[in-house]
Amino acid sequence: MIRILVAAAIAVMGLASAALPAAAQEVARVRDGVKIVPGQTRIMIIQPNIKVGSMSTGGLFEPNAEWTATARGLIDGQVRQQLGTMGVKLAETPAGDEAGAAIASQYRALFPVVAKAVMEFQFFLGNRLPTKKRPGVFDYTLGKDIARMPGAADADYALFLFSEDAYGSAGRKAAQLLMAGLFGVAIAPGVHVGYAGLVDLKTGDLVWLNADPQMGGDVREADGAVKRVGQLLANFPGTAPAPAATAK
Amino acid sequence: MIRSLLISATLAATLAVATPALAANRLIVPNVSVAVAKSAMMVTADREWNKLGARPGPLAESWTLDGDVLNRLSFYGGLINGATLFREVDRKNRPLPKVRADMLPTDIPALFEQSYRIAENSGLFSVDSIEPASIGGASGVRFTYSFSKQGEDVARKGEAVAAMVGGKLWLISFEAPTLHYFDAGITSARAIMASVRLPAK
Repeated sequence: MIRILVAAAIAVMGLASAALPAAAQEVARVRDGVKIVPGQTRIMIIQPNIKVGSMSTGGLFEPNAEWTATARGLIDGQVRQQLGTMGVKLAETPAGDEAGAAIASQYRALFPVVAKAVMEFQFFLGNRLPTKKRPGVFDYTLGKDIARMPGAADADYALFLFSEDAYGSAGRKAAQLLMAGLFGVAIAPGVHVGYAGLVDLKTGDLVWLNADPQMGGDVREADGAVKRVGQLLANFPGTAPAPAATAK
Repeated sequence: MIRSLLISATLAATLAVATPALAANRLIVPNVSVAVAKSAMMVTADREWNKLGARPGPLAESWTLDGDVLNRLSFYGGLINGATLFREVDRKNRPLPKVRADMLPTDIPALFEQSYRIAENSGLFSVDSIEPASIGGASGVRFTYSFSKQGEDVARKGEAVAAMVGGKLWLISFEAPTLHYFDAGITSARAIMASVRLPAK
């Protein structure tokens, strides 16, 4: 019964998201006053948080270690390559000792929560908080203690990346066709979310977030990873004319 | 399979129609006394907060600074005998614990913990300290807790004050990720807890 309810909820979410006006979701924002100079500003890449798996007919996520390892390698390589092409200066990311690694993993865990708050309470116009509505306001942080993270003293910004893909199982695809054909009810074929953020290593402030809810590219394939990373790094500040806010 | 899908389609259609429009979030301005949680509980904020349109329970209300996953201040206003903190998530298999009019203040943290374990699906929840405290002039408890949400690696901390007045439960809780957000929000949360005025019995 719970599986049926999950499927129903996903169907409703699919309908709801399909019904939203396109302008209801902002996808990226840069904090005012951020200056990133290609070739000078030092950016440290935090180990990307990547999850790949399948989605059962009932909508449950089942992680796939092999797909995740493949995607991690492909995305990691692409991030370095594409940032290099943009002229971004990369800082070393030291492994650090056990205590340092524990600090880094805490911030890796906090970043997706902050990103979700931005997406739900600032980017989604229908649910934007009154204090986040004021012109020019983009005020989120991971806290100034991020300066304790290994390598923070030798870099200006940290780049956080999150990518989660759940590919529909054969059963789910069959159910999707059946539901669409018989009842006109949409079941999402899978989940493909990703976001990237840049954090000031002196203040902890989130200075850029890119969170396009419609991520493309099959991260299990080289070509797909190129597309995915291109989307994650779209509007990267300082490398191209980046508007203060872009709406989709 | 077809039967399941039929039920699923019916549920989907029903939910799509029954889901209410998202209530708007509202600004809470500082230094103005406001009634919260559809009750006679009055509090005054020392800074701007946002009142969320979505309520955790029928007689509850939540405020946030940056989004409820980063800081959540919740008010539960005068829950009567038989009421629950949250809306039921699985009444048949995992019913939420109910408020009893004869509860002692020291019973409140256990009710809170059990409610979180069910409603938030939080297996990792602990009450870390309990001490006597005054809430709006009534004798009650202050307790601290820690937990994490299913599917997240973020550790969270919380602090609450609560009392039974006239057989009803009055409770205010603040919770946030341990990293940065708890310390950043607790001072204002405590000021609001200290400002509370409860109705006479």
